Amino acid sequence: MSFFVKGIFLEQKKEPMLTRSTLVMRQEFEYFDCDFPDTPVEELSAKQIIELARLAGIVDESDGKMLWEKLEKANSGECGTLIVDAIDDEPYISSQMSICIHQPEKLALGIELCEKALSPEKAYIAMYRHILDSNFGIPSKIGKYRVKKIGGRYPAESRVYRHIPKGKNSVIVGACAMLHLARAAEESRKMTSCFITVAGDVVKNPRNVEVPIGTTAEKILELCGLTEEPEAIILGGSMTGRAIFEPENETVGPTTRGVIALARSYGTYSYTCIGCGRCDHACPKALSVCAMRKFAEAGKLDMLQQYDVSMCIGCGACSYVCPSRIDVSATLLKAKKQIEIAKKEGTL
Amino acid sequence: MKDRLMFQNAPHVRQSESVVTIMSGVLFALLPIYLMSLFYYGARSLVLGICGAFFCCAFSAIGSLLLHEKPVPDLTPIITGLIIPLLMPADIPYYVVISACAVAIFVVKLPFGGTGSNLFNPAAVGFASVAICWPELVFRYPATMQAIEIFGESTAKIAQSPAYSLSFGAVPDYNVLDMLLGSAPGPMGATNILVVAACGIFLIVKKAVNWITPVSFLVPYALLCLAFPRISCSSFDALCFELFSGTIIFGAFFMLTEPVTSPKRDFGKLLAGISSAIVVFLFRYFGEFEIGFASALIVMNVFSPVFDAVCENILHAFRHKDSIIATFKSDKVRKKLSDNQDIKAEEIKEEPVSEDEQEKNAEVIEEIDLSEKEESGEEAVQ
Repeated sequence: MSFFVKGIFLEQKKEPMLTRSTLVMRQEFEYFDCDFPDTPVEELSAKQIIELARLAGIVDESDGKMLWEKLEKANSGECGTLIVDAIDDEPYISSQMSICIHQPEKLALGIELCEKALSPEKAYIAMYRHILDSNFGIPSKIGKYRVKKIGGRYPAESRVYRHIPKGKNSVIVGACAMLHLARAAEESRKMTSCFITVAGDVVKNPRNVEVPIGTTAEKILELCGLTEEPEAIILGGSMTGRAIFEPENETVGPTTRGVIALARSYGTYSYTCIGCGRCDHACPKALSVCAMRKFAEAGKLDMLQQYDVSMCIGCGACSYVCPSRIDVSATLLKAKKQIEIAKKEGTL
Repeated sequence: MKDRLMFQNAPHVRQSESVVTIMSGVLFALLPIYLMSLFYYGARSLVLGICGAFFCCAFSAIGSLLLHEKPVPDLTPIITGLIIPLLMPADIPYYVVISACAVAIFVVKLPFGGTGSNLFNPAAVGFASVAICWPELVFRYPATMQAIEIFGESTAKIAQSPAYSLSFGAVPDYNVLDMLLGSAPGPMGATNILVVAACGIFLIVKKAVNWITPVSFLVPYALLCLAFPRISCSSFDALCFELFSGTIIFGAFFMLTEPVTSPKRDFGKLLAGISSAIVVFLFRYFGEFEIGFASALIVMNVFSPVFDAVCENILHAFRHKDSIIATFKSDKVRKKLSDNQDIKAEEIKEEPVSEDEQEKNAEVIEEIDLSEKEESGEEAVQ
């Protein structure tokens, strides 16, 4: 499969964010009461740890699910592997990696708790290693946990799933969630904040910040400063996020990974598809993107389904490489949604 | 801050390489070839190139006016217009070039929807059509190192091209070095093998063309020429004559690699390259004209959607390999079951399928369900 699947190399631009420590926005901490306040961290049982995650209201930032639900589901059977997701393969985004680098003790404690709750066969941290434009060293061990370096091209996140042994309850948790779990166990702190990368070519002090959930994008950009008026503000990653128009009304949540301000939007550049086939080669799922885009524009849903448009993960690699700057990825995602609707209505 | 914000779809970072940079790379690569023909045939070659490019642009502008479309800045007609004269002799009358351009734009490009939708390589069809209409003009090559009059009837000395000698089995009068440097007569742009190859390598390094296409065409073609030589001399000389005569090298780098009409994936390009090598060889081995490349290319353009479909089918099987294996397994079990049933039916006619086998069957079906669920779960997480 890897012969056909290529993906793309991206300029990662993580250097300034990773070398600086996380900036914490002033906030009031909230604490929760639990039934076992005096139990030391080392003596917590599996059930108590899951209860802690529930009381602290920890949301996993990698998929937006509640951590305690994930843990309980994984705990119901034999747990195979615990993978801590610290893969930041999108340009600029580095909030999970900066936790691994600047707060390794807390992270190790969180993973230890999680390991105690699940008792998996093995546990490791997954990090993206191909940060080609900066010579930043990735630690080989955090606490007692091995760091598995995921190499190769963007998107790397989908490749993690290949390492999971089949037939067992394996679980992937985010690094920020582990940090919050450690805080909940040590200080009984609720999860009221999230880790966000503020970056872009017009941001004065690009760095990772810890802000309360619900802070507006405008406020976060004010915190880091702007050198000039941005033409595009993006909530989320630079490959998969969405452009926003009202930064004073848009708030960040637990799953928001970054706020990116760019001086120029790439603009409207209308040129017809010349059929170079770069999108086909960039697709990490080996889909025939070029043909599917034509079907999507002609509205042929049955052909799209035959070409497996439902396997599209919306990574945006096809749009990135397109020399005609066509919004291939957006077109395909729209077609995917249309097919889902048509299936529900029973017309397909 | 609010007024300046623009809408854009994800991803918000894009590659700096665009259609314009790719096309201007190709234009830049065509420039040295024109300079070489300027050296060998005088200023007429440059005027021919300008004429071709101008008329192709004019024709596509007329076409977009006729279709009531807004003309978009487009570099592809310029490339088509520059490639067409390079396939022809330097003393070709202007009306032949202009009619080739007219065919390329009005017959091949516009009826199918303009740039990006043409079924055939416009330059190849334009050249092939004028080669059929005026074969005595298109295949009559002037000798090199003489300045041809820019306007009016050409009085240039005519020479026999190596491709023509090869077509009736004669050894050409030129040595290999002549052919490499381009002092042998032939098409205006295709004889300077060293320059053409250097420009082709420039295109590959610049990633304007994929290296697989020229390599997968030239290597099988060379092997075929070695296996079935047309002339009786040392095999190395025969190979060089076959490869360097006609438009083989030029076509491999500049015409076969046209993105619109070639397959999309590397594997498809490989298949297309190998099969077009075979077809070009057949055209040159058995064909009437000494240059079979353009006509062979038109034939191969028809098949590029087929190669795309082959790739898609292979990948479709790869994507669904789990479910295919599962169905294969369940088919086997079912076959076993039905075989057992037959035997039992012969022995005891009334007894239904035993419970064990039914359970087995159910297990297999469950397995299929599970694998499907896993797949969908993965995607949801991602």
